[in-house]
Amino acid sequence: MTDGSVRILDGNTFVVSDDRGDIEATPTDTAGLFSFDTRFLSKWVLTVDGERLSALSTDDLSYFETRYFLVAGTGTVYVDAKLSVIRRRAVSEGFRETLEVLNHDDEPVDLTLRIEADADFADLFEVKDALKKKGAYTREAAPGRLRLGYVRDTYRRSTAISSLPKAKADEAGLSFPIHLRPHESWKAELEVVTEFAGLERLAKSSGRGRGRANMESELERWLDGAPKLHCDWEPLLTTYRRSLVDLAALRFSPLTAGRRSLPAAGLPWFMTMFGRDSIITSLQALPFTPELAATTLRELAIRQGTRTDDFRDEDPGRILHEMRYGEMTAFEERPHSPYYGNADATPLFVVLLDEYERWTGDRKLARELEPAARAALNWIDEYADLQGNGYISYQRRNEETGLENQCWKDSWDSISYRDGRLPGFPRATCELQGYAYDAKRRAARLARIVWNDPAFADELDRQAAALKRRFNRDFWVEDGKYFALALDADGNQVDALASNNGHLLWSGIVDKSKAKAVVRHLLGPRLFSGWGVRTLAEGEARYNPIGYHVGTVWPFDCSFIAWGLRRYGFKDEAARIAAGILDAADFFEGRLPEAFGGYERSLTKYPVQYPTACSPQAWSTGAPLLLLRTMLGLEPVGEHLVVDPALPAGVGHLELLDIPGRWGRFDAFGRGLMSAERAPKLREQLGAAR
Amino acid sequence: MAADTTTDFFESLGRRAHEPLLEQTVGTLRFDLAGKGDVDRWFVAVDKGNLAVSHQRRRADCTVRAAKPFFDRIASGEVNATAAVLRGTLEVEGDAELLTLFQRLLPGPPAGTSPQRSGKKP
Repeated sequence: MTDGSVRILDGNTFVVSDDRGDIEATPTDTAGLFSFDTRFLSKWVLTVDGERLSALSTDDLSYFETRYFLVAGTGTVYVDAKLSVIRRRAVSEGFRETLEVLNHDDEPVDLTLRIEADADFADLFEVKDALKKKGAYTREAAPGRLRLGYVRDTYRRSTAISSLPKAKADEAGLSFPIHLRPHESWKAELEVVTEFAGLERLAKSSGRGRGRANMESELERWLDGAPKLHCDWEPLLTTYRRSLVDLAALRFSPLTAGRRSLPAAGLPWFMTMFGRDSIITSLQALPFTPELAATTLRELAIRQGTRTDDFRDEDPGRILHEMRYGEMTAFEERPHSPYYGNADATPLFVVLLDEYERWTGDRKLARELEPAARAALNWIDEYADLQGNGYISYQRRNEETGLENQCWKDSWDSISYRDGRLPGFPRATCELQGYAYDAKRRAARLARIVWNDPAFADELDRQAAALKRRFNRDFWVEDGKYFALALDADGNQVDALASNNGHLLWSGIVDKSKAKAVVRHLLGPRLFSGWGVRTLAEGEARYNPIGYHVGTVWPFDCSFIAWGLRRYGFKDEAARIAAGILDAADFFEGRLPEAFGGYERSLTKYPVQYPTACSPQAWSTGAPLLLLRTMLGLEPVGEHLVVDPALPAGVGHLELLDIPGRWGRFDAFGRGLMSAERAPKLREQLGAAR
Repeated sequence: MAADTTTDFFESLGRRAHEPLLEQTVGTLRFDLAGKGDVDRWFVAVDKGNLAVSHQRRRADCTVRAAKPFFDRIASGEVNATAAVLRGTLEVEGDAELLTLFQRLLPGPPAGTSPQRSGKKP
């Protein structure tokens, strides 16, 4: 973990603690036991005779279970330790903790073990913004039990703590007086249950709290069900396994999904359904775990916008941006019930539906979601065209708590002119037009083969062709030979060079005649760092190699760029991007961060992580998966899977076995150019091999 | 009896008879709305977009309980139903998806009452 904290989770229930297993939150600290966007424990501190413990080691047994080896005292020398404590914690509907105290001495010992417990019931939004609570707290202690509660009108949340053997409980915690004979040990079980008044029945029927044994066998099943990777470049095997396990951890079941799950956006702040993140990650993981895409599509469709609601930036047909369950959402102090303010998830929803059908042949779902897809297409034309110029633009209607930037580069300074000026609103960023084009093309295919409406298909194809023509005229920056980042409110080009050009290749909106120039930029010195494609090109006024969306490299972004390069036939270039990102992954033990610095590779030698709190991040987790697809050139064509590999220099062979799809299971093999005598440890890094 | 928001809402659903937004939905919702000493009970049966509204007791897939004055505010669009579920003011048992889909029949916030409504329309 990047910040030394330990995190375990099950769905949107997770624990962030220090390496001793202690939780000590401050109003703005992220430590705690969280569930449904609420902090159910803000303090959970273990002491022996009033003294804090020290960690000898911490084992992450799995993403939902950790074990801590502790000794009494906080000094730096442990030679005198006559007593050790093993603390084992697993997340379920809260968590279950086993404490074991071992007396290593030849003498008997009497001691008091205590857990200090408290809960502030902070909404995640309050933790982020350090806001004050409006309700009242309750505390009920009984032998073996402590219940921490919070009430605001009808909103009630509580944390029920119990122990076996029964502890002496008071309002601040639980104590165990212990007598240990020489070399004797003592054990206790603590259970922490998160309670939601009024929501229990709903939560129960959603299959929440699967139990530890189930979770273990379920993770095994998940890993067994995924395609098998064989490859002579070992770091890739580590990265692949890391991605699969992290993806398992990031699965989230909305209350309407039963036991099905979709990818949440990231841990710990984003363990919820996001339109954009859930769709993007589902796209990346489609060749590996297509069921994630099915759940994402279904759950987003259930909550598709149907009315005009300015507070939630909702329109008919719009796909949601983010769903939250905390107190501020409950009292409509935040619009996340759900919030709809994004401009890309709606066209991407249609793209995912088509891509899902192409892989799986699940026409039933494609038919079932026809009305949702039509409503999404209608949103593009009727609600997203804020300027009446035929392009998707965004401008929030909720000016208080809505999102200003409704594209994936959602920071305040991400969309700029070359000279650094920021455009006003509405803004029509270029990738949105690509997504709209792709959505229309793909919907046309579905209309022809699944919806049985060839007239609609023809109309969509006509619209797409017209959009492509206009786009290649209006967005093309003639003196730079690339596509502008956006059009501003006056229809002028926001002319900075950015990675968004790669998404345009992916969408297919780029004229063939312009593709080569775009590719030259993507792999050129201003955008390509050696590790990946910078979000904003070096030389632009706002370029900053550690600026969130203005110079850092985003692995997810690069994976879509590689896909785009493949779409236009630039196989070797796609392999170079894959090489850089996968090499970077090796530096992070297989877990790619959300973003890393845009410094030149030759300058830093290793990728400099961008300091964000969120890891693993779903679409970074998905990036290696999509890159496996692009390296092998996997493409469903009719009932078959076509394989057209182009491996980075340094990878000799790559096999992906049992790829699920409409063909059943299929094996893909790739061979690269590599000298056989090279010793593994002396190997060049992939991206450096050119 | 004088008409009220909730009664108006359910009666208008009954008159609407067909709702395209629920064309793929099948299921029955039961609403138990507690007033002063009595419970106002409504059943809404959805059958592929066809709506049948009645007071007749029948098997329900999803039961919703709320105080009647509070439900008036939901029926008028003033309060968001999902938020009300999170607050515990609207209690749900059974098929949560059915309630989520049913919300399509509820009006959006009336102009001017949305908590942070901006003046500007696109």
